[in-house]
Amino acid sequence: MRALSFFFGEAGRSLWRRRGGSLLAVAASTISLFVLGLFLLGGVNAGRILERWSAAAEFSVYLNDAATPEDRALIERTLATSGVVVEQAYVTSTQALERFSREFPDLASAARSMPTNPLPASYEVRLRTALASDHAVDQLATRLKSLPGVSDVRYDRRWIDRLLAVVRVIRGAGFALAAIFILAAAVTIMSVVRLALLARRQEIEIMQLVGAPLAYIRGPFVVEGTLLGLIGAALAVAGLWALYLSGRGPLVAWASGIMDTGDLTFLPAASIAGLLLGGTLIGAVGGGLASREAR
Amino acid sequence: MIDAREVSKMYTRGVYALHSLTLAVGKGEFLFLTGPSGAGKSTLLRLLLRQEAPSGGQLIVGGRSLAKMTPSQVQAYRRTVGFVFQDFKLIPTLTVYENITFVPRVLGQGLAIQRRKAFQVLKWVGLQHRMNAFPLELSGGEQQRVAVARALINDPALVLADEPTGNLDPDLALDIMNLFREINARGTTVLVATHDRELIRRVGRRTVTLEQGRIVEGG
Repeated sequence: MRALSFFFGEAGRSLWRRRGGSLLAVAASTISLFVLGLFLLGGVNAGRILERWSAAAEFSVYLNDAATPEDRALIERTLATSGVVVEQAYVTSTQALERFSREFPDLASAARSMPTNPLPASYEVRLRTALASDHAVDQLATRLKSLPGVSDVRYDRRWIDRLLAVVRVIRGAGFALAAIFILAAAVTIMSVVRLALLARRQEIEIMQLVGAPLAYIRGPFVVEGTLLGLIGAALAVAGLWALYLSGRGPLVAWASGIMDTGDLTFLPAASIAGLLLGGTLIGAVGGGLASREAR
Repeated sequence: MIDAREVSKMYTRGVYALHSLTLAVGKGEFLFLTGPSGAGKSTLLRLLLRQEAPSGGQLIVGGRSLAKMTPSQVQAYRRTVGFVFQDFKLIPTLTVYENITFVPRVLGQGLAIQRRKAFQVLKWVGLQHRMNAFPLELSGGEQQRVAVARALINDPALVLADEPTGNLDPDLALDIMNLFREINARGTTVLVATHDRELIRRVGRRTVTLEQGRIVEGG
């Protein structure tokens, strides 16, 4: 307890004495963790949106105008016996037009002004999620396409899978970028702590001469690095929170004309804890490495 | 207290700072080490403070061989040794009181102990009234008194002083020497390295003269 009080007291004094350098190190760790957090935040929300779309992903079977009740019965039987369908619903062309008018009010008048209803009747099919990329779904799509009365089969999951792959690539690139920033932050913290060490070399010499334990000599520098990392991480989380609060509304409003994003969410508690712990760890490692020079 | 047997210290091949030095210093003894610059006085003190290890021979202090100590044993040993340097080695950003309590503080001792010990040694060196001053606000003599107080706060068995009066005028130098005499009178072994022969004459204690790393007188 006494040792901890000494470490924190000395680290606090040192941080205050070298405010400029401390601010630089805090800024470095804030930026690196902010970038990492930004990609995490984007990833979490992209994941949620895609999951949402994925859950609502439909297998749409569009009918041509010549489709007979027998054709529909065969389509319904084929879907019901496929083993990959959870639910199927028949949507008439009139219902499709009503829905279109509701969802895109600006374009409703244009659609209604056309001589005939441009939207075909269809079956909206909900698939079992676990079988999303299953071969059976592909087989079903091929089979349906060959049935009479079917004009087209659209399988949403395919582009969602492509989108997921793109998100994964962007997330990977983000993590790589964040890793570089984190390394830079660790080096900056190490340099700042090393400067503190140089500035206090006389104290260190006296500590060595009076037989102070190594932990007492190095401890304050490890704590100094740890505090720099932790403060940087806390500021990064605060910055992300501020960005989320101020950006959520406008972003959802902007995107609503293009896609259904649902409400955006902030980072889960585990990610926040991870960022704080990560920042602390970066600082501790930077401080620890620098403190090794005090022997 | 100190038993040096054929102790040598070589920094570069063939150049000895100390050469086969044999010296015994009894417990509670006061010894002057003298000689010209480069004679090996400071080297011997550095070996005794275990800042360096001897290149040859055996250096035993309080029954323990300094060469064979592990790092943690060196730390424990240094807690029994007080040191005073010519340049005082006070921390300029700390007050007199903080400079003195710095030692018990970094050794993990409690606040009450720090305070009691600090007042005790400050009173002893006559600087209670300057405890809130910073080193640069003090005269050279006062700064050296603070350094002596710091050396004594841990109640050491051995005090090593390297040219402690080198920056002081003769009267202040004698004051500091009187402090060392008092320390010695309380049973502490004191080893003072100085080239000030006049001071040695006025204090009048056992003196060992070194030249080119060898004892030439008083061994």
